[in-house]
Amino acid sequence: MTGAAIRALPWGWFLRRLALMAVTLWVIITLTFFMMHAVPGGPFVSERMMAPEIAAALDAKWGLSDPLWQQYLNYLRGILRFDLGPSFKYPGVSVNEMIADGLAVTARTGLLAVLCVVAVGVPLGIAAALNRGRWPDTGVMMLATIGVAVPSYVIATVMLYVFALRLGWVPTFGLDDWRGYILPVIALAGFWVSFVARLTRSSLLETLDQDYMTTARAKGLRRRQILIRHGLRNSLIPVVTVLGPVVANLLTGSFVIEQIFALPGIGRHFVLSITNRDYTAIMGITIFYAAFLILMILIVDILYLWLDPRIRAGAKA
Amino acid sequence: MTLLSVQGLQSEFRTARGVVKAVRGVDLTVAAGEVLGIVGESGSGKSVTCMSILKLLKRQGHITAGKALFQGRDLLTLSEAQLSDIRGDEIAVIFQDPMSSLNPTLTVGAQVIEVILRHRKVSRAQARARAVELFDLVRIPAAESRVDAYPHEFSGGMRQRAMIAMALACDPKLLIADEPTTALDVTIQRQILTLLKDIQARMGMAMILITHDLGVIAETCDRVCVMYGGLVMEEAPVKALFARPSHPYTRGLLAAVPDLRDGMRQRLSPIPGSPPDMADPPPGCPFAPRCPAAMVHCVAERPPLFIATDTPRLGGGQSARCWLMHPDAPEVSP
Amino acid sequence: MSVPPVPQCGFAPLPRTDTAERIATPTVPYWTDVWRRLRANRPALAGLVFIVVLIFTAIFGPMLSPFSYYEQNLRLSNIPPILRPYTVTGEDGSQERFFLNSGNFALYGITEDGRMTDILRGKADMLNRRTTYDIAGRDVVVDYKSLPVSVSIDDSIALPGGRVWNRTYLFGTDQLGRDVLVRQMYGARISLLVAFVATLVNFFIGVAWGGVAGYAGGAVDTAMMRIVEVIATIPLTLYVILIMVFLDSGLTSIVIAIGTVFWVDMARIVRGQILTLKQSDYVAAARTMGAGPVRIITRHLLPNTIGPILVTLTMLIPSAIFIESFMSFIGLGVTPPLASWGTLTSNAVETMRSYPHQLFFPAAALSLTMFAFNFLGDGLRDALDPRLRK
Repeated sequence: MTGAAIRALPWGWFLRRLALMAVTLWVIITLTFFMMHAVPGGPFVSERMMAPEIAAALDAKWGLSDPLWQQYLNYLRGILRFDLGPSFKYPGVSVNEMIADGLAVTARTGLLAVLCVVAVGVPLGIAAALNRGRWPDTGVMMLATIGVAVPSYVIATVMLYVFALRLGWVPTFGLDDWRGYILPVIALAGFWVSFVARLTRSSLLETLDQDYMTTARAKGLRRRQILIRHGLRNSLIPVVTVLGPVVANLLTGSFVIEQIFALPGIGRHFVLSITNRDYTAIMGITIFYAAFLILMILIVDILYLWLDPRIRAGAKA
Repeated sequence: MTLLSVQGLQSEFRTARGVVKAVRGVDLTVAAGEVLGIVGESGSGKSVTCMSILKLLKRQGHITAGKALFQGRDLLTLSEAQLSDIRGDEIAVIFQDPMSSLNPTLTVGAQVIEVILRHRKVSRAQARARAVELFDLVRIPAAESRVDAYPHEFSGGMRQRAMIAMALACDPKLLIADEPTTALDVTIQRQILTLLKDIQARMGMAMILITHDLGVIAETCDRVCVMYGGLVMEEAPVKALFARPSHPYTRGLLAAVPDLRDGMRQRLSPIPGSPPDMADPPPGCPFAPRCPAAMVHCVAERPPLFIATDTPRLGGGQSARCWLMHPDAPEVSP
Repeated sequence: MSVPPVPQCGFAPLPRTDTAERIATPTVPYWTDVWRRLRANRPALAGLVFIVVLIFTAIFGPMLSPFSYYEQNLRLSNIPPILRPYTVTGEDGSQERFFLNSGNFALYGITEDGRMTDILRGKADMLNRRTTYDIAGRDVVVDYKSLPVSVSIDDSIALPGGRVWNRTYLFGTDQLGRDVLVRQMYGARISLLVAFVATLVNFFIGVAWGGVAGYAGGAVDTAMMRIVEVIATIPLTLYVILIMVFLDSGLTSIVIAIGTVFWVDMARIVRGQILTLKQSDYVAAARTMGAGPVRIITRHLLPNTIGPILVTLTMLIPSAIFIESFMSFIGLGVTPPLASWGTLTSNAVETMRSYPHQLFFPAAALSLTMFAFNFLGDGLRDALDPRLRK
């Protein structure tokens, strides 16, 4: 990239975006900290109802005898060093370790699900739009309606019952072999594959009706060129904007999917911490999620900027 | 020499309201190097006629009958692939709204370059050089740098110039300009029109200029087709049309335009009523319900296109679709 | 061209009529038009009917049911909705029917049309893993030494004949012997309560927030939308979870949790609408005519945002219902003995292997409701879309 091109990037916009995201993250950290502090029997109260070694660990970490604002600052300082503190329930286990432990599983299923959303949802939407009113369109729209309407955990349990319990085609739990991934990934991605298919379809249909598509045809461009260069590029812009929320919701979706399929991911740890009232883990994982999502949104924003020069102009202004 | 000859063209749109018969049998000829104007109200079928020639109708549009012979080949029987070789190369189109006709996510230059690369065997650098040359031709200032700009960085007039550059990229033999100035400011309209006329004369290409503005026709065209209700109502050399309009609709159109040469004393007379509903067009002459000179037979049978040899009421090269042209019809003073 | 002949009378002037000024299509009031289009959309209409029926069932259903949602009777646990009756013919020719509950190996007397009459009492023989009953003077033995359980009448193996719908417990009972139907209806009440709260919050906070931000513009708008942006950065589910942890589970908590954050999408949409409308010519016209801000908001801006508000609502309601059931499913929602569709589903998952019907009913209820709202929302959006209006 040349110097001029780098200067041409909307750096001001980018910095403003970063600042806003930092503020958002800070608000969420503060909110969770004070909420957990207000919980009776929570981690930041000195009445010791917890195991002594945990109390000692918490005290060493955040100084429970210090005034509240001091604890808060200590907590913030820890986060800046990517240290989320010890677990409230399991002696000697840190929240960082819990996250690291589940990350591989969650990342693998999540990545596969995102891949599914892009590699299945988008082509389905395109196929439906290009065959408007004919059977591929009707079929895709029917599937997509089911996928959007039926809650993921219902799909998951029904699939578990039919394919694992009744037919025995796939294992009921665990990820020991590749077949173990099938149901969790379908359950996780189902809604968003459908959503993205619908969005791609309507967006592409709208684009196909645009005047510049007629211009492209009038120029004698080949069908493939028209479709890819002029049609898809423009119609995928709204699809890209939902990819941020897609990742976010795949995460929250993983809470229940990991529980149903007994997968040892972060989502399962999170739900377990909630039932265990492992407050520091709840807090830490929430903040981890928030930070991750904010990062995702930033990436999507940059992608969006790259795709649509109008936004680029708006961002620079 | 005849470049394009449209014969008995019929097009329709299948909508929720029913079948809209937008073009109901249109005949046109365009000679090489000639400028043909098509004038009519919105909904008269003038745009649909031209879009049909290149099969560029939108989704619900269908061509149901007719021929469009371009240099002897019927365009309507060509496959989409064969047609795409002609589009943008031998026949180019300029659209009404330069705001929506350019792809907002590609640079204007890229959109010009892709036409050249599609139809000419040249390198990307050569195509780019040609694009800059075209930008100069259509008088876009600072052409070298504007090639890399995006449509939203252009004003409306500049965008239309870019559209023209795109259309001229492969030296077309025929340029179809579909209301190229309607969406622009009045001051810009004149510039664009002058530019078009200029380039047309210089390059010697034929042009079909669609407009609802008789002033534009008077300044730019050699011959005029007046369309109404999906039919050609009158066709004449431009001078003859203004000097001696024969169809009551043409007369109505002319009376509705202010002529400043007459001073301020003149009264404008709009044509009463509204255009026919093309989903359910009247059986006879489509203009009959609004025609001040309508006769009983006008609502019964669609008038044929009378030509000068049929009737003493038409001058040379003039033709009109009106029962008043019938040799037996009573004389009506204009 | 040869000139076509025209009869001389054809050249007479056409008598004038007013047809030229006739307006082609009559104008239809906007909402009549919307309703007409919505009615023509079958799935949307079906969705609307379903929702209305659901509301009535949720309100009046539990009153009509003889069962309560909390009363437990372990002797009536896991009764299926479809029974396979055995018939015993007594020596006097009288017939008695009963069915076997494969869950607890108990026998229940039923009538011919599937009504349950009583829990039959037998002599249990723990050692040989069998229970002996005296039905219509005959010895009926349930042998559960080896599975599947076998039933014999007077020492000959008996097989159930046919299937009959359980008329007493239409949807069967759960692990604790509670009527599934009545619990489902209470579940519907919870879902609809959540939907109602979400609607209320959307109207009072969402519309007001977006409306004020959009109308005021400038710094007020920026500040208000920053707050919305911060909230909307992470999924609402996460907030709801945090609030639930803070408040402890329960119906009130989930209602509060959903109410706290569920208005941000609406605020964004209303603001966007108001911003566009504010610049429209007719608002400028109203302002030139001297209309005040209140009049402009109430007469010009809000009526024109009703469409998008309605469409957003039909999208947000199912997502609120979903979040509640999701929370209940992961154990953060309503507390027992209260039943929501989420808890019913999650309870059923545990016993899915033996009693799939317990999974079927809440899953179907939830899915159908989601379908209904989705269809209605899609239909409403199509019906309101001015681009389709011709």
